[in-house]
Amino acid sequence: MVLIVGGEGSGKRTFALGLGYTPEQMADAVLDSRPVVYHLEQMVFADPDCIDELLPALVQKDVVICNEVGSGVMPIDWQERAGREATGRLCVRLAQQAKCVVRMVSGIPNIIKGQLG
Amino acid sequence: MIILLTGGSACGKSHYAEALCLHLGAPRYYIAAMMPYGDGSEQKIAKHRTMRAGKGFETIERYTDVGSLVLPRRGTVLLECVCNLTANEMFDSSGNMRDPYDDVVDGIDKLATQCENLIIVTNDVGSDSRQYTPETRKYVEVLGRINAALAQKADHVCELVCGIPIVLKGEKLI
Repeated sequence: MVLIVGGEGSGKRTFALGLGYTPEQMADAVLDSRPVVYHLEQMVFADPDCIDELLPALVQKDVVICNEVGSGVMPIDWQERAGREATGRLCVRLAQQAKCVVRMVSGIPNIIKGQLG
Repeated sequence: MIILLTGGSACGKSHYAEALCLHLGAPRYYIAAMMPYGDGSEQKIAKHRTMRAGKGFETIERYTDVGSLVLPRRGTVLLECVCNLTANEMFDSSGNMRDPYDDVVDGIDKLATQCENLIIVTNDVGSDSRQYTPETRKYVEVLGRINAALAQKADHVCELVCGIPIVLKGEKLI
């Protein structure tokens, strides 16, 4: 599994296309048979308590794409805070199991763990 | 040696900081700057306590003025975190605001003179698009400047991304 993280519009899906996947193979915040899932943060925000259940299915994917959502001042709203924290913790656990972690900055991939291929 | 660790929420900063402390020598002191204020902070404090349990840390709760702390011995100190320390120096309990820059930066300078190793945990709060109140904007701005000042003094600076340390200054330690 390759984990791709980065800010909004940083080029994460474009990078996944470059790995050979088509838009049809990419699932938007849903777990199904497609090999790529993106907007993971939306799945976590919908239910921050679900990360233990999400993890085993996510590690079976070829590519998992998640927006970085942990910057900015800690929100006062506890639900928003729970979503941020759960997304961060899930990404730490995914990174531990990923063969490769890519962080996108301005469309430029930085490989911060392992290697592609 | 001064080590600065930064990154967003729940990116693995505390975990890596504790691993660094275990790698470096005893005695180990944990300076907790987070004031228990309800609404989740107790759980966060409890979680961090559990993480540190059995690792030989002496915990010192210090919400402001870290410069006047007197440590019993020289050793490895983990200061967590600059975002709380800055907020505590900046806003009093009645909500009055003052510029915390000198108190935080000079306080950490003084603390560093008593440490063999000082590991400082901070947070990246300046990269989002939310609309904050003028007071919070001021906080974000001054914390950014404090982080820059601390990074300048630090021998090693790492950003944590998904639990992975990205070296920004100095060499990778572990």
